[in-house]
Amino acid sequence: MSTIEKQLLASPRNRSYVLIVTAIVLLLFLWSLSVVSFKDVNQSGLKIAQNIMNGIIHPDLDLLLNVSKQSVLYLLVQTLAIAFLGTVVGAILSVPFAFLAASNIVPKPVSWLTRLLLIVIRTIPALVYGLMFIRVSGPGPFAGVLTVGLTSIGMLSKLYVDAIEELDTKVLESMTSIGCTTFEKIRFGIVPQLMSIFMSVTIYRFDMNMREASILGLVGAGGIGAPLIFAMNGYKWNQVGSLLIGLVVLILIIELISNKIRAKLIKG
Amino acid sequence: MIEFKNVEKKYPNGTAALQNVNLKIGQGEFVAVIGLSGAGKSTLIRCINRMHDITSGQLMVDNVDVTGLKGKQIRNFRRRIGMIFQSFNLVTRTTVIKNVLVSFVPDLPFWRKVTGIFTKEHKLKALEALDKVGILDKAFVRVDQLSGGQQQRVALARTLAQNPDIILADEPIASLDPVTSKQVMDDFKKINKDMNISVIMNIHHVEVALEYADRIIGIRKGEVVFDGESDKVTKHILNDIYGGQVEELKSSMEEKSAHV
Amino acid sequence: MYDKIFPPKQVVLPSGKVVLEKRSRTPLILLLMVIAIVWSVNMTGFDIKLLFRRIDQFFVIIGDMIPPKWSYFSSLWRALVATLQMSLVGSMIGALLSVPFAVMASANIIRNQVVVTVFKVILSLLRTLPTLVTALIATFVFGLGPTAGVVAILLFTISYVGKLLYEQIENVDMGPFEAMESIGMTRIQAFRYAVLPQVLPGFLSTSLFCFEGNVRYAAILGYVGAGGIGLLINENLGWRDYSNLGMIILALVVTVYLIEWVSEHFRKKLI
Repeated sequence: MSTIEKQLLASPRNRSYVLIVTAIVLLLFLWSLSVVSFKDVNQSGLKIAQNIMNGIIHPDLDLLLNVSKQSVLYLLVQTLAIAFLGTVVGAILSVPFAFLAASNIVPKPVSWLTRLLLIVIRTIPALVYGLMFIRVSGPGPFAGVLTVGLTSIGMLSKLYVDAIEELDTKVLESMTSIGCTTFEKIRFGIVPQLMSIFMSVTIYRFDMNMREASILGLVGAGGIGAPLIFAMNGYKWNQVGSLLIGLVVLILIIELISNKIRAKLIKG
Repeated sequence: MIEFKNVEKKYPNGTAALQNVNLKIGQGEFVAVIGLSGAGKSTLIRCINRMHDITSGQLMVDNVDVTGLKGKQIRNFRRRIGMIFQSFNLVTRTTVIKNVLVSFVPDLPFWRKVTGIFTKEHKLKALEALDKVGILDKAFVRVDQLSGGQQQRVALARTLAQNPDIILADEPIASLDPVTSKQVMDDFKKINKDMNISVIMNIHHVEVALEYADRIIGIRKGEVVFDGESDKVTKHILNDIYGGQVEELKSSMEEKSAHV
Repeated sequence: MYDKIFPPKQVVLPSGKVVLEKRSRTPLILLLMVIAIVWSVNMTGFDIKLLFRRIDQFFVIIGDMIPPKWSYFSSLWRALVATLQMSLVGSMIGALLSVPFAVMASANIIRNQVVVTVFKVILSLLRTLPTLVTALIATFVFGLGPTAGVVAILLFTISYVGKLLYEQIENVDMGPFEAMESIGMTRIQAFRYAVLPQVLPGFLSTSLFCFEGNVRYAAILGYVGAGGIGLLINENLGWRDYSNLGMIILALVVTVYLIEWVSEHFRKKLI
């Protein structure tokens, strides 16, 4: 056997592994397809789809442009406030969680337990928190702020932990040699390293929280969600159109700004 | 003046890192410590500012017994000794000047420590230190945008801002290329001569050590096997310090000079 | 901009040298943050005293969830499986459909700038729509049930995977692509042999990651009638049956944890 033939035989080493995994995934997919059915799609469905498109193209301009408490503008500003304050609350709460979950700061069991708690916090759907907080604060945007804050913890702490575990500890050695105390080492050796990453991650989460906050109205936790759902359930498609257009434009603007700021934070 | 009297350092597992060390280093000397890796060069240097504790013997710096210092005393004592590291040890995510300003931190009142707002006087001192190592123009640039040589100069400026009597340097040029190494070594020489600051440096590159240092200390297995002026170092002495591996060393030296 | 409004400060060294120090932005940023926080507090009626006084109510509900009602599992597992099926189908079809979208949005593959911009805009518009809103719209079109959920997940997956994929495609090394075009392949063939191998691991890994997230999204879609376990969550919240809810959440946490574990295993292999 020539070396070339040997190489030919040696190459597809993991092919059967890939094949088996692919086959399993395909089988699961085919089995899952059973949930999809189009028997409920009928004339009215298509008609509604058409109405929705129509409504979005002809939005309720009065609703979009006036400045009363029911206007799109006011609702958007309220949603923005919920997302912003929720992010601030979440960021503050995430810091202790992150340090408790960092394996280079606390003993293994503590970090493991904190991580487990974070997974639980992250898995409970936002709407459930929304309903729980309404028991605390009554319906309204305040409950929304608390919900956004709590749901942010899961992701924020996870990304904070990554930053903490990548800390460059060598700088602490040089600060020891300068004669710094532990407090000084944390303030001037660790905080500057974490600050820009934490800010960047938090701004990213704020971006996501805009979307989160826009659905919380569904359970009565303020923001643009409730009027949006009411308008949809009432088949008022031109109102839906103006609400959606406002929401999409606001989210896009925020995304643009947050990308700019984050690029600046990373590059310096 | 730094004085080692029968200094011995044992690690908890029983290996002796330093034994029987007796040295006197006067103010303003430029000393290079050479030896194989693991011979105890780094330990020797770190004992001077108590980054390591010695197990027995006596270590005097300007007639102060270093071994007897505690807590705050150690920190105050370290203020007078600058230290430079192989990996620069800077906060790369902030500006050059903020890194230099760190050397004033222990002197600040509490509210300044919390807010991180420095006085104009401190800023001027930091800028002067940067000027001395020739990177004044980089003062407000973030450290991660500088080259390795420039970063080591920032570290040097941070140490100068401390206004130290002694600078300890732990392999300062090990992660630099030959050209930048030369620039950094020139800085060390200039600081040593102009400001009469003692420099004690451990270093891998024997040829650089011989060129810049006034005095060479050779260490083998934790013991001082040579101590004398650098022009007195012969091939035979090097052979002794490096335990017969000098041929290897020489060839690597030639390789390096070929690169320059 | 900022430097024009607040010109840099001149620092004169004793040696006579002059350094320009840019004005720090920190005070301005802090001021803006304080204003934004005060304004949001007013806007949302945030009340820290009320929070401390009544936060126990939150834990009352958590207390009611423990212990979960184990027997409820027999009635929830079907919905749980349906949730997983919804996310799997939605993620897989969505990931496949995202490929043409991503290719059309890649400036280095498609020469026509207009097409590229249009597809980029479509992807970002899709991404801004909250999943729950798309799901609700889908229930009007496809009727109540998991199909609407699948459509919502599918649309989100296209936007998410599509965006990350075109960013990857735009960052690939174009050398091989040009080499293959030069030996006479069509652009599609060159894409298949030069670009695809470079982006495939990243694409699979992104898709897996998206699938993980989709399981979590799928869990709430039932809230608007789009199938899955969300319907049960909604019902039990309505009935205030918190021990049942506890069981649902426990089942969800375990499932999500297992899926993340498996997916992470494969994602590590891909990178």
